Amino acid sequence: MVGFLVGEALRDLRRAGRVAVSAIVLITLSLAALGGFWLVSSNLDRAVARWRDRVRIVVYLKREPSSSDVAALVERVRATPGVAAVTFVGKAEALRGLKQVLGKDAGVVDQLPANPLPASLEVTPAAAAATPEGARELVARLAALPEADEVAGSVDWVEHLSHWQRLLTTIGLGVGAVLGFAAILTVTTATTLVLHARRHETEIMRLVGASEVTIRLPLLLQGMMQGLVGAVLALATLVLTYSLVAPRLEPLVNLTLGLSQLVFFTPLGVITLLGAGTLLGGLGGWLARAGREP
Amino acid sequence: MIEVHRVSKVYSVGPVKVPALREVSFRIAKGEFVVLTGASGAGKTTLLRLLYRDDLPSEGDIEVLGYDLVPMRRSQVAALRRSIGVVFQDAKLLPVRTVYENVAFVLRVLGAPRREITERVFDALRIVGMSSRAQAYPAQLSQGEAQRAALARAIVRRPPLLLADEPTGNLDESMAAEILEALKDIGSGGTTIVLATHQARLAAALKRRTVTLDAGHVVKDEG
Repeated sequence: MVGFLVGEALRDLRRAGRVAVSAIVLITLSLAALGGFWLVSSNLDRAVARWRDRVRIVVYLKREPSSSDVAALVERVRATPGVAAVTFVGKAEALRGLKQVLGKDAGVVDQLPANPLPASLEVTPAAAAATPEGARELVARLAALPEADEVAGSVDWVEHLSHWQRLLTTIGLGVGAVLGFAAILTVTTATTLVLHARRHETEIMRLVGASEVTIRLPLLLQGMMQGLVGAVLALATLVLTYSLVAPRLEPLVNLTLGLSQLVFFTPLGVITLLGAGTLLGGLGGWLARAGREP
Repeated sequence: MIEVHRVSKVYSVGPVKVPALREVSFRIAKGEFVVLTGASGAGKTTLLRLLYRDDLPSEGDIEVLGYDLVPMRRSQVAALRRSIGVVFQDAKLLPVRTVYENVAFVLRVLGAPRREITERVFDALRIVGMSSRAQAYPAQLSQGEAQRAALARAIVRRPPLLLADEPTGNLDESMAAEILEALKDIGSGGTTIVLATHQARLAAALKRRTVTLDAGHVVKDEG
């Protein structure tokens, strides 16, 4: 029975001819667009997550606490809501850090009459505070510390990146949805043509008592086949594009976003893309309705 | 086997009501060969369509093979039709399939095993004398051969009931005689047959029970 249904679906696909090819091309385009945006978006998402992890708020202290007071101060700040971790950086350590940053120009520091750098606390916000609002609230809380002279740091630019990532996802979904809708309509048209071409078969099937599922399953299957072929072609296009573009883009992405490499879909992503294509085609096939009986 | 009780059928053509059957009642027992005759437009085709539940009566009850046809669900319609073979005036063969494939199509649709399909198809083709034309396409067949192939398709499931709607309508006398002989052979095997024909001479020659329709009424039931 399965062989028969698949055979009928393949026969129907041949009957649909150019319209089926158009449907496959549209499914390929819609999934390639959707997949392309998805890839860019997921890589940006990785960058956002990476930078969120690196967000630090620095509390510059009015004066360096004595070594006996440091532990108590750190402990008090750690107990502040929205704080995940706290590291104390003394004046001397800050100066050493500056020398490292200056590299060969570190000698300039030695010309200074005294160490001008303040002691500080490097605060890592908890995940809940790694949003613009959360970070602003945390900064306000930290600024209220009697030891605090100035508080620096925000997550605004990470949020800008996140906005771009969400915008791209939305555009991708929008473009994909429009093309996907067109693809469904084309598969429906192809299936309607098939229905017309196979009306005699349908009549005979009904006449001999075939179930409605047996009558309509080949239509669904031929739609799914169109969708699957379209999805495979879209995937091939994305693989090719990725293999050509990724090696050229990676140095730039590393420099700007801190991502050492651009990632492709996970196996689950590949399955999702193929599934989406099959679903699109199947939906188009199912929507083309045969005439009903009394 | 078949019980038609006070069945009327009215078609609506816009605001106009056209009665096709009026208060038709009769019974057909298992194994009977009944000829349904009458002029064109008398209601023969309408009646047959009601018997295989292609349409519903406007009034009355119909029972076929133990199924009450009026309140039937779709799934029951399919079950009913699996027990009925239907032949039409135009053979309705699928043009891109061979005679063998046309007959086998029915069994494949119903999920019969492949080995059983081959056996049953050749059995049906043998009964109608079409074994040698199994690989021919419908376009290569004479009208008589096409009708015999359609007959083979109708009987390949060995249905207890065969409905034939003007199967000889397009055929010359010798070809019509071949079809009638084939029908008689099938009937002698115990299949109940209802043959609709407007050809009164042919109906008379069959010497079977004949139900005559005129303008939707049963005017005669004899034999």
